[in-house]
Amino acid sequence: MYAISVKDLEFGYREDLVLKKVSFNIRDGSFVSLIGPNGSGKSTLLKTLNNLYQPRGGSIRLYDRDLSSYKKRELARKIALVPQETNIDYDFTVEEIVMMGRHPYKKRFEMEDESDFKIVYEAMKMTNTLSLRDRLINQISGGERQRVIIAKALAQKPSIILLDEPTSNLDINHQMDILNLLKRLNRENGLTVILVIHDINLACRYSDQIIFLKDGQILGMGSPEEVVTIENMENAYNMKVAIERNKYTNTLHLTPIEIKDRGENKNKRVHIVCGGGSGQELINSLYSEGFQLSLGVLNVGDSDWELARSLNLPMVEEVPFSGISDEAHENNLRMLERVDMVVISNVPIGAGNLKNLLAAKEALEKGKRIFYIKDDDLEFDYTNGEALSLIGLMKERGMITLNSIDQLLDEI
Amino acid sequence: MIRKSGYKLTITFLITLLIFSIGLFSAIGTAKVSVGDIFKILLSKVPMIKNYVDLADIPSSSVTIIWNIRLPRVLLGALVGASLSIAGAAFQGMFKNPMADPYVIGISSGAALGATIAIVLKVNFILLGFSGISLFAFIGALATVLIVYNIARIKNKVPITTLLLAGVAVGQFLTAIMSFIMVISDRDMVKITYWTLGSLAGKGWEPVLKMTIPAILCMIVICFFARELNILLTGEESAQSLGIDVERIKTYILLLGTFITAISVSVSGIIGFVGLIIPHIVRLIFGPDHRILLPSSALLGSIFMIFADTLARTLISPIEIPVGIITALFGGPFFIYLLRTRKKSI
Repeated sequence: MYAISVKDLEFGYREDLVLKKVSFNIRDGSFVSLIGPNGSGKSTLLKTLNNLYQPRGGSIRLYDRDLSSYKKRELARKIALVPQETNIDYDFTVEEIVMMGRHPYKKRFEMEDESDFKIVYEAMKMTNTLSLRDRLINQISGGERQRVIIAKALAQKPSIILLDEPTSNLDINHQMDILNLLKRLNRENGLTVILVIHDINLACRYSDQIIFLKDGQILGMGSPEEVVTIENMENAYNMKVAIERNKYTNTLHLTPIEIKDRGENKNKRVHIVCGGGSGQELINSLYSEGFQLSLGVLNVGDSDWELARSLNLPMVEEVPFSGISDEAHENNLRMLERVDMVVISNVPIGAGNLKNLLAAKEALEKGKRIFYIKDDDLEFDYTNGEALSLIGLMKERGMITLNSIDQLLDEI
Repeated sequence: MIRKSGYKLTITFLITLLIFSIGLFSAIGTAKVSVGDIFKILLSKVPMIKNYVDLADIPSSSVTIIWNIRLPRVLLGALVGASLSIAGAAFQGMFKNPMADPYVIGISSGAALGATIAIVLKVNFILLGFSGISLFAFIGALATVLIVYNIARIKNKVPITTLLLAGVAVGQFLTAIMSFIMVISDRDMVKITYWTLGSLAGKGWEPVLKMTIPAILCMIVICFFARELNILLTGEESAQSLGIDVERIKTYILLLGTFITAISVSVSGIIGFVGLIIPHIVRLIFGPDHRILLPSSALLGSIFMIFADTLARTLISPIEIPVGIITALFGGPFFIYLLRTRKKSI
């Protein structure tokens, strides 16, 4: 019998689905890691397993019974959840917090009795938190708190424990500490452990089974060897990795080599034609994607000029409130020779900055790629048609017109 | 810090202190009566025991003043103080927000507006033992809390800042409407002052008798949810995974807290800050466990309220100060102190 059996599970917070046709089985007493990039649906999946979210479609069966058929308290005796956020800003003692784990067993007016205190004692002993019992929960360290929250979960006497990134924000020794504890509970007490974890090396080291999610779908599942492969890593994280066997732990060890996109962007030189604030978003996104940027011609004091200057980008400048001089135009042409492509923002074109378009046209004729971002239908031509016909001409000669910066990032 | 074993002791101590305070504060006033005489007068009204009490040495005018004026007033103050404090404690737990208090988040104003409308419209019906005024107050309070909650909410959280801002804005707006209605309907500014600043003066036994059973029942039911409120403080997801129906518990607390506020406000007007100060003091002394926090807040709230009301009627006697002024004189600085110590989390 499976502890958890999920079939064609679908879930979404709003219209779009976060989990798409997810199916898997988890054997009773196994140690399972959910891995995948941010936003892949790991945490969502975990919470759906605890019935915190109701699935849009498909089924979840817990010990061969439909999850939704469990009453809330009954479910709390089967599954305990350790949420990602365990910060408690109130002066409860550690023992009081662990005692809260007994809630699903207590009737409304029932006080905690000897057996509850015994279970709480055992839970604290197993998690090595006995010495903390009278300390306040908001005055102990993150690693200690994580163990206390696990003790609270154990006080629920569950068959399955779900943990949402139990090791994030912890020092490396505390990470090991928590995972060793979970492994011991798994081996010695037969507790089924399902956890979301970012560190793939730790996942490989501790798990019997790994479920690898990407975009709400299962990319792979099985033993670490079956799931953590160069192809899957490249697919999910867009990253080249080396995978070898660690000689100390004899488990898979993954070393990131390089991120694919970023590395390539670094060698791409992009010249931006903008002004009057039309380039702000463009400069920011291209800059954060790692492109090598240059700008021109910009008037000194212009808002785009200020942004470029704060990022220390090379640019061709012109004195404030005046048209582009022949000298600046020449400098701009020289700068354009060194770039791979030119992006023209949705900047209004007048007599003063028409030369920027002419420079771009020249670059186009020299075989450079030119992109024109027109994200609205507003009037931009203040040259009585000259700019418009120039744009038309450039389009004919291969300039690519785009609607958004996202499209641009896809193109280059 | 007093924990577990101290529970019964704490409650017993506070109950004793409350009884003593009732006697003490009833004795204070223009007409001088000793604390012992107060209890004599009290006991003289209890069946069976009354045969053993001799009132011969107490002037009959004092007996009348104590029995007809001071005692009902003190008991009403105790009920109102307990109600507002327990409502504050419950709201603070539910919103996970230490600034939540029926007055600060505007519920009292909503209740007062509801009650005013009922008074102006001369609503006289009685439903399930509750007067039309109480029901209107409840509806006003409930509508206000829903409005404030929805304005203040950011996703599923209710940050301190937005709750305060929304509460103050909505509360002041409703108080303005209420005052306006009162000005139009009876042009009595004094009445408005006593209503918007709260007063326990001159009510007699009737409101005490009407309020006792629903208020005490309501407090007991709120205490039923102590364990759930504790667990809610550790986070909603945790609470849900412990088998608690979070949304249902929140709805119950909201309804109960609003109801008990409404019945208090409909007899006393808007008395501010009690629900803020008292739970905080209790939390400082006994810790955050609602099993102690809720009943202790109610008891300490009673004591504080009759203390404040005694100041209100004796400070510049024979002139009455609205008791809300006294509570605000304590509450305002306390509120600022809380804001400053909690600055980091805001």
